[in-house]
Amino acid sequence: MIYFYDGTKEAFLTAFLLAWGDREAVFASQNAQLSLGQTCTFVRTDAAAAKRAEQRFLSFDKESMRDLGTMLRSGDANRDAVALAYFRLLAEKKRPVRGMLADDAVRAADECMRRVGLEIHRFHGFLRFMESASGALYAPFSPDNDICDLVAPHFRARLGGYPFVIHDVKRKKAAVCDGKTIFVAPLERAEVALSADETEWQSLWKTYYASVNIPSRERLKQMRGYMPVRYWKHLTEFR
Amino acid sequence: MFDICKEARYNRGMISEEKLSLLTESAKYDVSCSSSGSGRKNEGGIGNGYASGCCHSFTPDGRCISLLKILLSNDCVFDCKYCVNRCSADAPRATATPEEICELTMDFYKRNYIEGLFLSSAVHRSPDHTMEQLLLTVKKLRTEYRFFGYIHVKAIPYADERLVNETARYADRMSYNVELPSEKSLKLLAPQKSKASVLLPISKLAREKEIFRAENRKGKFLPAGQTTQMIVGASPEPDGQILRLSQRLYRGAGLKRVYYSSYVPVVRDPLLPDVPGGALREHRLYQADWLLRFYGFSAEEIVEDDGNLSLELDPKCAWALRNMHLFPVEVNRAPLELLLRVPGIGARSAYKILEARQYASLDFVHLKKMRVVLKRARHFITANGKFYGAKSDAAVRGLLTAGERAQNAEQLSLFAAENAAAALTGEL
Ligand code: SF4
Repeated sequence: MIYFYDGTKEAFLTAFLLAWGDREAVFASQNAQLSLGQTCTFVRTDAAAAKRAEQRFLSFDKESMRDLGTMLRSGDANRDAVALAYFRLLAEKKRPVRGMLADDAVRAADECMRRVGLEIHRFHGFLRFMESASGALYAPFSPDNDICDLVAPHFRARLGGYPFVIHDVKRKKAAVCDGKTIFVAPLERAEVALSADETEWQSLWKTYYASVNIPSRERLKQMRGYMPVRYWKHLTEFR
Repeated sequence: MFDICKEARYNRGMISEEKLSLLTESAKYDVSCSSSGSGRKNEGGIGNGYASGCCHSFTPDGRCISLLKILLSNDCVFDCKYCVNRCSADAPRATATPEEICELTMDFYKRNYIEGLFLSSAVHRSPDHTMEQLLLTVKKLRTEYRFFGYIHVKAIPYADERLVNETARYADRMSYNVELPSEKSLKLLAPQKSKASVLLPISKLAREKEIFRAENRKGKFLPAGQTTQMIVGASPEPDGQILRLSQRLYRGAGLKRVYYSSYVPVVRDPLLPDVPGGALREHRLYQADWLLRFYGFSAEEIVEDDGNLSLELDPKCAWALRNMHLFPVEVNRAPLELLLRVPGIGARSAYKILEARQYASLDFVHLKKMRVVLKRARHFITANGKFYGAKSDAAVRGLLTAGERAQNAEQLSLFAAENAAAALTGEL
């Protein structure tokens, strides 16, 4: 049976209970390919059941809900299967399993979470803000994983009272911070009127970028390894 | 909410493109770009520390941009033979005002271009004058602009220690350049500098930090410590001598990092070699340095006093081949210290093995799945009693040397760019 759920933690936990005993269960929350002959069900979240499952998992492993949250942010096509296998193992062992790195399910989950964590870390560095006429800062980006609100707290702490918007242009949503509170809102397109000297600062940054490079030691492969080309579109230094 | 915005908008001076180019052009050869080691909090302004460091961009040479590296001035009264800014050189000169540096830092930082400032300078007018200007700049940044991001300041040799100590109250990290690994070479190539002018202030500053900590004084004093930099290949010191100096600096003065910068001949002088220092040698020194800091090796184990590191083999392989009687070790039982000494097993893999072997007895299939690289390691380990390495020591040597040759071109200078990714690949 294929269990379609909406990608939230609660729906996952509801589906997990429904699929208990179904060894053939497939979880799907993104676009899944239906193969002939498979039946499917659309999981409706049952808040009470989800809460029960959550309590159980937390009693096995204090960090389990944080891990689930992280896995469900992954943009990886396999993430539903990875999360299902990992939580089945956890339910079976009834104790933390994260150290069992010789086990396929644990390693897959570990990899999946590591990639989400790595991308958050990367965007702490690779995000580029532009200053709007009102003084608010605006940063468009297009991450692999659904992380705009997970990136935002770092900038709230750092930017003091500045209001800012971190716009995931692919998922058409944004993390908005008024200087204190962060909330997530759908955002299709943003029209930003730039501040008077924004373009000049951008051009100073480009000058800096060009002048610190040592052309005689070109190592493009290494550069692309650290900073994948798919991220370049939103980087000021390449625009 | 907008008070800070207004406050920061001093607009007393946006630096010109030309000045920016001149002052960053020669700062770029400074190797350190690390922004790690400081947990400074944002105290009602802009900025904070990022303990693990953070890369904001990468240039086509594969290096990370973390800090805005800039000189306050490139107008030098010293005459170091290897330097483009030496007073006898005919070069365009520029000096920035503290405000220009502050504005630039704030506006770059706010846009998330940089993680902080790396402020250095040529000796402009006099050591004390230069140090005063550096102090003024960082003090302004911290107190007027309320900047709490990362600041690394280069200390000026011969500057009054009171100025240096006060600067340390505002900076996260400071560094004196050791420049050249011996007194003799300094005399020859940097006539105004001496071992005493760099090594002494390094230990003085370390002592000052101790006192600060012991007396529990308020505020901060170089939370990210001191580092230094040496030029390799401009003078004849062997690797053994260089690594012993590094070891002394790590153990004696508590330095966080020693950077090695392979000599680049930008200046022609009969006293200087015409050829660059060689990226491979620099790479080997970083590998050896890594062994000193994270793998429990001593300089004496790595290379003899007057010897050089093997260019053919990485220093860990070379050490293992000299100590074949210790191998193979069983991965399911070997203590961490020994696992770390296995060629090919880096810190990450060693910890993974420690963790995983609590749950299952590991065989080679497990190791492979855990992404432990076995190409070199297999000659030095058994897993569940099985051994898949070459039969004789000579065969091991042959295989390792051949593999290393293929890899060298790829690997060069992974260690120069200090960042999270490089820390992961720093596995030997
Ligand atoms: S003191 Fe520094 S800037 Fe001046 S010549 Fe020597 S190395 Fe160059």
